[in-house]
Amino acid sequence: MRELFTRFFDLFRHDKLETELNDELEFHKTMLERDARAAGSDDAVHAARRQLGNVTSVRERARDAWSFAWLEVLRQDLRYAFRGLRRSPGFTIAAVLTLGLGIGANAAMFGVIDRLMVRTLPYLRHPESVRRVYLQSTFVKLRTSTQMPYTRYLDFKKWTSSFSEFAAFNRVDMVIGVGDEAREEPIMAVSSSYFGFFDATPAVGRFFGPAEDEVPAGAPVVVLSHAYWQSHFGGRNVIGQQLVVLRLSCTIIGVAPPGFTGAGEGAPPALYIPITTYGAFSSQARDYWTRYNWDWTQVLVRLKPGVSATTANADLTNAFIQSRVAARVLHPDFAQVEKYNPHAIAGSMNAAAGPDPGLESRTLVWVAGVALIVLLIACANVANLLLARALRRRREIALRLALGVSRMRLASQALTESLLLALIGCALGVAVAQWGGSVLAKLFVPEAPDFSVVTDWRTLAVAVGAALAAGILMSFAPLLLAGNEDVAKTLKSGVRDGTYMRSRLRSTLLVTQGALSVVLLVGAGLFVRSLNRVHDMHLGYDVRPVIEVNWNRRGVQYSDSEKAVTRQRLLDAALTIPGVEHAAWVSNVVLDGSSTQTLRVRGIDSVSKLGRFDSQTATADYFATMQTRILRGRGIAATDRAGNQRVVVVSEGMAHRIWPAKEPLGECISIVLPTTVNDTTPCATVVGIAEDAVHNPIADEPFRYYMPVDQFPEFGATNLLVRVRGDPARESEHVRRELQKLVPGLSFLTAIPLIDLVDGQRRSWQLGAAMFVGFGLLALIVAAIGLYGVIAYNVAQRMHELGVRVALGAQPENILSLIVSQGVRFALAGVALGTALSLVAARWLQPLLFRQSARDPLVYGTVGATLLVVAVIASAVPALRAAKADPNAALRSD
Amino acid sequence: MPPAKRDLLPGTLEMMVLKTLTAQPMHGYGVAQHIKRLSKDVLQIEEGSLYPALQRMRQRGWIKAEWGQTPNNQRARYYTITAAGRKQLGEQRSGFAELVEAIGLVMKTN
Repeated sequence: MRELFTRFFDLFRHDKLETELNDELEFHKTMLERDARAAGSDDAVHAARRQLGNVTSVRERARDAWSFAWLEVLRQDLRYAFRGLRRSPGFTIAAVLTLGLGIGANAAMFGVIDRLMVRTLPYLRHPESVRRVYLQSTFVKLRTSTQMPYTRYLDFKKWTSSFSEFAAFNRVDMVIGVGDEAREEPIMAVSSSYFGFFDATPAVGRFFGPAEDEVPAGAPVVVLSHAYWQSHFGGRNVIGQQLVVLRLSCTIIGVAPPGFTGAGEGAPPALYIPITTYGAFSSQARDYWTRYNWDWTQVLVRLKPGVSATTANADLTNAFIQSRVAARVLHPDFAQVEKYNPHAIAGSMNAAAGPDPGLESRTLVWVAGVALIVLLIACANVANLLLARALRRRREIALRLALGVSRMRLASQALTESLLLALIGCALGVAVAQWGGSVLAKLFVPEAPDFSVVTDWRTLAVAVGAALAAGILMSFAPLLLAGNEDVAKTLKSGVRDGTYMRSRLRSTLLVTQGALSVVLLVGAGLFVRSLNRVHDMHLGYDVRPVIEVNWNRRGVQYSDSEKAVTRQRLLDAALTIPGVEHAAWVSNVVLDGSSTQTLRVRGIDSVSKLGRFDSQTATADYFATMQTRILRGRGIAATDRAGNQRVVVVSEGMAHRIWPAKEPLGECISIVLPTTVNDTTPCATVVGIAEDAVHNPIADEPFRYYMPVDQFPEFGATNLLVRVRGDPARESEHVRRELQKLVPGLSFLTAIPLIDLVDGQRRSWQLGAAMFVGFGLLALIVAAIGLYGVIAYNVAQRMHELGVRVALGAQPENILSLIVSQGVRFALAGVALGTALSLVAARWLQPLLFRQSARDPLVYGTVGATLLVVAVIASAVPALRAAKADPNAALRSD
Repeated sequence: MPPAKRDLLPGTLEMMVLKTLTAQPMHGYGVAQHIKRLSKDVLQIEEGSLYPALQRMRQRGWIKAEWGQTPNNQRARYYTITAAGRKQLGEQRSGFAELVEAIGLVMKTN
C-alpha cells in the first residue's frame, strides 16, 4: 500500500528524481575513476570509462522503478498524440467537432429517455416489484388507459391474489387558498397505502393513515410537498394549520421529504390529500366508491414474490372482467363485456414505457436512433480522416517499424490518438448535451426543471462510454494499416504508390456515411412535410389571439339562472377591457374533449349510425371570437334566449352528412336532453351553416353543431373565450385579474392563451421535424467534409499522374470531370444504399407522420439531388486546384 | 587474474545492501565497495543493478535517501536503513539461512 503511494507521488516528481539519479551516477563514475587512477592501472581507468556506457540502461531501469511502466508508455503515447493533433489543427477541430456533436446528441437523448422511461422513482421501495395498472379494451378500437373508477380499484383489491400492496392516486389541478392568495396548483389525491410503497419518512409531522382514508369521505387532512412547504410557508412549523383546498378547510398534518415525487409524472404536487376526501368533495360523481361512471383513479400494485408477469396479468384481467360485469348491472348502457374485450396489464411504472407510450415517446425513441446514426457517421468520418493521415505518414510508420518499434506499440499509439480525440470530443459533447439536454427536457419533460448532464452520473457515464466506443471504433482503420504494412516495399516506393490498394476501406466508409446521411435527410424531409401539413391544414378557426378563461366553481352548485347572470356579467366586463375584440362562452374548447348527444331527425332512422356529431353550446359572439365563418344563414344571436324558438347552427360537413340532397336551412333537429322525459324533445331549427372546424386534427371528423347556451342551459358553458388585439400571453393575466373580481363566492378563474393548448398537440411533429432537420443537416455537413477530405487526399496522391496527363495534353476540364465523376460515383452509391435503407425503415416511421407518405418520391428525390450537388461541390474544389496546378512541379518532385 | 564474478541469487542483493547499511549510512558507491571488499572481490555489484535496487527499496520504505557531503567534500546521496528495512532484513536473513541449509542438504547427497 505504502509502496503504491510512493510510486504514485514519484510520478509527479519525475524530473527531480531524474536529475538526482544523474548526479548520483556522475558521483559514482568520479569515484570509480579516482579509485582506478589510485591503483595506477590504465586498464582499470578504461574499464571505468566503458562502464559509463551503461548509464543509459541504468537510467531506464531505475525509471521503471519510479513509475508504473504502462503509465509511462501511456504518457509517451499521449504526448505523441497531443503533438500530432497540435500539428494539424484543421483535422483536430473537424474531428473534435463532429465527435462532440455526435456524443453530445447521444448523451442528451439518453438523459431524456432515461428520465422518461427507465429511471426508477426516488424513495420507491423494491422498484422491481412495483407495477402500474393499465386497462385495455378493443371496443371500436384499441384503447389503453391508466384511469379507472375508484370502485374498480376496490374490485382489484378484492378479486386478485397476485399482489401484496395496492395504492390509488389521482393527480389534478386544484385551487388552494382563498382570495388573492388563491392559486391553482397540482395536487395528488392518494390512498393512505400509497406512502407504504416508498421508503419515505415525513420531513415534519406524519402521513395520513387508513383511518383518515375511508369511504364515503376521508378526513380533511393534507400533507404538503417539501417544495411547496418551502416556497409558500418558508419552512415554518405549519402542523395543525388550516389550508383551504377547493372549498374544504383541511388541517396540515405533515410535510413530505425533499425530492419525494411519489409515482408522479412531472413536478412534485403542492400537497397530498386522502383520495376518499377528494372523491367526496369533488362531487363529480356521487357514490364514487360503488359506481363506475367516473374514470379518475390510477392504481399501483406490488407483485407478491415469485409471481410472474403472465400470472399477474391474467389475474388482473379476470378481476377486470368481473368488475365490468358488476358495472353493467349498475349501468345497463355500458357496452357488453364480450364486445368490450377487457384486458388488464401490470406494466411499467413509467407511462412512457408502458403498453401505449404515446406519439411523443415513440418519436423520442426514433430521435434517439437518429442521434446514434449521427454518432456513427461522425465515427466513420473521423476514421476516414485518421486513415488519410495514417496513409500520409505511412513512410514514417515504415521507418519506425524498420527501426524496431513494435507493431503493438504502433497500434497502441493509434488507439491512444483516437481515444484522445474521442475524449476531447466527449468534453465538448457534455457541453453540447448540457445545453441541448435542457432544451430537450423542456420539450419532452417540461415538468422536470432540474435537467443537468454534468451532475447526472448516468448520463455522464453514457457520454464517456460513447466516447470510448467511438475511439475504439475509429482506431480500427489505422490499426489495420499498422498491422500489415510491408516495411521494405513502402520504404523503397515513393509516396504515390499503393494508394489505391488502401482506398477500398475508405470508399466503404464514405459510401456508408453517404447512405446514413440520406436516411437522416429523408427522415428530416418527411417530418418537415408532415409539420407543414399540420400547419397548412384549414382548421376553420384562428386561435392565435384567443385567451381561454376557465370558471372554476370549486364544486359549488349554482342554479342555471345564477350561472347565466354570472356569465353575462363576465362577458360584459370582458368586452369593456381595452384590447378585447370579442368574447364568448362555450362548452368545449378546441382539443379539450368533446360531448355528444342523441339526435333525432325526421326521415332518418338512426342519426348516430351516420357518425359522431359533437355538440357545442355557445353564446352569440362565438363565431366572431373563433373567426369561424358562417357560410349561409346566420350564427348564434343575442336574441336566441330561453323561450324563443330553439335554433342550432351546424357545420358544413354535418349538413352534407345528414341532408346530402337538401337545403338544411330551416330543417329541424331534435336534441335529446338529459332532462327529456318521454319523446317530447323540442325541435331546434337550423338557422346557419358554419365552416368546418377541426378540433382534433388526428381523430376528428368535422361534424359539429352549435346551440345557444341560453336555450340549452343543461349543457353549461364554463369556458370564456376572449379575443384580444395584442399578445395573448401578455394579456391573459390582465384579463384574469379584471374578471376575478366579478365571480361569486370562492370561485376562481384561470386564463391561458389557447395557442398553448394547440401547440401541445402539434408537439410530436414539431419535435420530430426539428430533431430530424437538425441531425440531418449535421449529417450532411459531416458527410460533405468527409467526401471533400477523401477526394482532396486522392487528388494530392495523384498529382504525379495528373501532371503526366496535363503534360500529355489533357485540358483542365478533362481533369475536372475525371475527379468530379469519382466523387459523384461515391455519392450515387451512397444515395442508392441510403434510399433502399429508408424505404425499408419507412414502414415503422409511417405511424409517426401526419397525412404524409413515408415513401414520398419528392422527398427522396430532393435528398438524392442534394447529396449529389454536395458531392459535386466537395470534389470540384480540389479538382479545380489540381487542374490549375503546374504539371512541371508535380512531375519534378518525388 | 582477479577472482571470477559470480551471479547473485535473486533477492540477495537487497539483503546485502540492507545488511551493509546497518553499520552506517552510506552512498551507493560505498555500498558497492563494501560488498566487494567483504566478499573478497567475488561480488562486484554493477551500478546497473545497484541503483534500480536502491530505488525500489526506497519506494518500499526500507531505506531513506539524503544528500550529504563525503569526507572529501563531494556531494553524495547517503542511504539510511529504516525500521521497516531492519524488519525486512531479519525476515530475509532467516529465509536465506533456511534456503542455504536446504540447498546444502541437496548438494551433500551423492
